[in-house]
Amino acid sequence: MALVRLLFIAFVVLSVIYLSLSLYSRARARDRLEAEYDAGDFDIPRDAYVRAGLMEYDSSLRRKLILGVYIVPMSLVCLIIYLVNFA
Amino acid sequence: MRYIGWTILITFWVCLAAFLHYTLPHRDIVRIVSTYEERQQLNDWTRIFWSRPDEQSDAMITRDVQFIQGVRANGKPIVYRNEDTGWSWPPYFKFDTANLYTEAADAVSTRAAPEWYVVTHYGWRNEFFSAFPNAISIRQVDGPDASKGIYWVNIIILALLFAFFYAIWVRWRRFRQARIDPKLEELQDSWEAAGDAVDEKRGRFRRWLDTWKSK
Repeated sequence: MALVRLLFIAFVVLSVIYLSLSLYSRARARDRLEAEYDAGDFDIPRDAYVRAGLMEYDSSLRRKLILGVYIVPMSLVCLIIYLVNFA
Repeated sequence: MRYIGWTILITFWVCLAAFLHYTLPHRDIVRIVSTYEERQQLNDWTRIFWSRPDEQSDAMITRDVQFIQGVRANGKPIVYRNEDTGWSWPPYFKFDTANLYTEAADAVSTRAAPEWYVVTHYGWRNEFFSAFPNAISIRQVDGPDASKGIYWVNIIILALLFAFFYAIWVRWRRFRQARIDPKLEELQDSWEAAGDAVDEKRGRFRRWLDTWKSK
């Protein structure tokens, strides 16, 4: 049960971090696209350009890297368990 | 007001330092003398100095706890408890208590033919509260003056913590300079202006009064 409690708390805390980080990152991607559009000379309308850019962002590596918020602490726990009990 | 601020600040940092000193790992070089098991009363506030190895242990008022007795190079005694931390705080995830007990029993040496061990542990020894540091692992070393190794974990955690507080402090200072300081100055200016106006009025009144005085 202690494990379940730890996993639950970790999941909630990490999800808050993951959510805020991904929202922040997406907002920054949008800002970058808008600045790009304003600086350059494009034929397509502004929101079409931004939407296309954001779709590209959604499948980018940068967005998947944010999953590290879950993966890094989990690996750290596994490493500590190994070092303390089996090394 | 100034003293209250300082008191809160100092209390906060002292508590944080004590918390870190309790939780972060330390290493002692000791000669292991013996191991024993003793039933402990766990139903008062000193419960915080004992672990919660599993869910059942929460409900228990007494529980058998393993101890490891050691003697430091300077001859002073030190007693460690040997408890699982399990999945709870502090996050050492220690489950090998029985193994460590065996290792410690195997490491016992006499004063005549001493063998020295580095004991990694966290926690405090306090005779009044019957608090014992919790041993995490033991490792044999050459002698009482051998190196304890570099505290990499502590260095990394403290550096990250320092970076975290520095980041908060910088942002807070920037926010204060941009938003709060101008408002305060505005407030002060208008306060001083009001004060000047009052002085001016009072001066006129005083001068009018003075005209009645005999010269």
